[in-house]
Amino acid sequence: MRVILDRLYVVTGALAALFLVAIAVLVLLSIGSRLAGTYIAGLSEYAGYCMAASSFLALAYTFRHGGHVRVQLLLQRAGGRWRRALELWCLAIAMALAGFLAWYTIKTVIVSIELGDVSEGADATPLWLPQLGMATGAAVLALAVADRLLNVLRGGALEGGASDTHD
Amino acid sequence: MDELLLTGVFLGILFVLLGSGVWVGLSLIGVALAGMLLFTSRPAGDAMATTIWSASSSWTLTALPLFIWMGEILFRTRMSEDLFRGLAPWLMRLPGRLLHVNVAGCALFAAISGSSAATVATVGKMSIPELRRRNYPERMIIGTLAGAGTLGLLIPPSIILIVYGVTVNESIAKLFMAGIVPGIVVAFLFMGYIVVRALLEPHSMPPADAALRLKEKARESLYLLPVILLIMAVLGSIYLGIATATEAAVLGVVGALLLSALQGSLDRNTFVDSLMGATRTSCMIALILAGSSFLSLAMGFTGLPRELAAWIASLELTPLTLILVLTLFYIVLGCFLDGISAVVLTMAVVEPMIRQAGFDMIWFGVFLVVVVEMAQITPPIGFNLFVLQGMTQHDIPYVARAALPMFFLMCVAVALLIAFPAIATYLPETMSPAPGRPPT
Repeated sequence: MRVILDRLYVVTGALAALFLVAIAVLVLLSIGSRLAGTYIAGLSEYAGYCMAASSFLALAYTFRHGGHVRVQLLLQRAGGRWRRALELWCLAIAMALAGFLAWYTIKTVIVSIELGDVSEGADATPLWLPQLGMATGAAVLALAVADRLLNVLRGGALEGGASDTHD
Repeated sequence: MDELLLTGVFLGILFVLLGSGVWVGLSLIGVALAGMLLFTSRPAGDAMATTIWSASSSWTLTALPLFIWMGEILFRTRMSEDLFRGLAPWLMRLPGRLLHVNVAGCALFAAISGSSAATVATVGKMSIPELRRRNYPERMIIGTLAGAGTLGLLIPPSIILIVYGVTVNESIAKLFMAGIVPGIVVAFLFMGYIVVRALLEPHSMPPADAALRLKEKARESLYLLPVILLIMAVLGSIYLGIATATEAAVLGVVGALLLSALQGSLDRNTFVDSLMGATRTSCMIALILAGSSFLSLAMGFTGLPRELAAWIASLELTPLTLILVLTLFYIVLGCFLDGISAVVLTMAVVEPMIRQAGFDMIWFGVFLVVVVEMAQITPPIGFNLFVLQGMTQHDIPYVARAALPMFFLMCVAVALLIAFPAIATYLPETMSPAPGRPPT
């Protein structure tokens, strides 16, 4: 289970990186097409979709790396048991919010499929497709936060501990 | 329930979530959610998903990961050495000698990197050991570096200016242009300070290295060529209206990869490291921006920004007083939050107030960045301080004391910016319009 979860975070992170490269490629294409005097419809929309996919798919991976900012003032001053309690509170709130986000982004995908929503831009993409990246990323984040919460409840290391620094 | 009480509850939730250490992006979603539940009967979850989707999939935002990636690539090149070798022969004759490399190096690297921590780290990697070896006063080495590192945020490309531009819906290209001259002004203030200190305490400065002949100087200067070419490609193309901010960012990424390949620093590892680093940083910022888009929506329902703007208007403050109050507010806020979070969190409330008071939003963006930068070198939260603590093994109070004169110089910069707004607004007014995006 541990291995599968860790691999999931890394794989979604790698996907996010691919989408970042895709943004660069799309923008290069749009510069190239402009120089060539042609126009490829929907490039900027696709770049936007890649942006959303990259941002969301990287959520869990970034979380595992301690990459999301938080106010450390209290956390750094709290010691021992208080520190652990505070961390549990933060993780519980974060899990609820990430779960909420996942729930409604998944719902958005379902609604887009049911209504057959299509992008208003020149690309006319069925919206559920790019929204899938957002929903997947949010769901994996909720999973990663729950994973960490269980780990801390079982007495595992807090953020910044050795268990987080490698993957 | 009473409106005032609701507002109190709303702000209370904000402080508790952020203060207890819940991740900033998620906190913003939580606060917005509370606002929706308290102030409106609209279905909060659906509104959230729609808002976050349209905010996260916007074309303007794509400049962000690209500029971050460019910086990550350059960070892994031999840029530190090149800057030092190219700048040192020229600055050796000034009073204060190689201390100026810290400032000039940061200013140059800032023009190809959007983050102040990366700027401090890149320039310091080479200049700290070199200056220490020559016995320059330790406090001056660290102070000037901490101060000059903040140029990374001000001199474009600047991550925080992109975040501001996306948040208040202003042109990123114009904001970038507006940051250039104030950045140079700040750099000159720092260099002026070094000159004054060196003239007052001539014995504290070590002797100059052996002078190079002009031909050698010219050869050493060649090391600056790649940096200067990159700066011209990225900023020049924006100023001339050849490229949008996003397109300039891609030019920057391609240029950085080329440079890294030519230097022989590009291999599979550095490529993957730079890409994954950029993915994480831009994801972190994207989550904050997603949360803030939902928070702006919720704020609209709370009526808080409107009331605050009306209240401020009723006080009939002079623009100067308003700006001074905001300066203080952001410096205090910067003691608890990092720059990006501080900007994003407050703009939903501050923006209507600023627009109503008739400020130029481009000018305000630059002002905001200078003020937020000042917070980067004040404890307890100051990212430049953290970086320097890691690089020099001094504790935070020592680094902060060394950086204190730079803090005051930046107060001078803010005063100049208020007295002569054209410092920021001249370039954006004279730049060529960006190439038109094809109709969508």
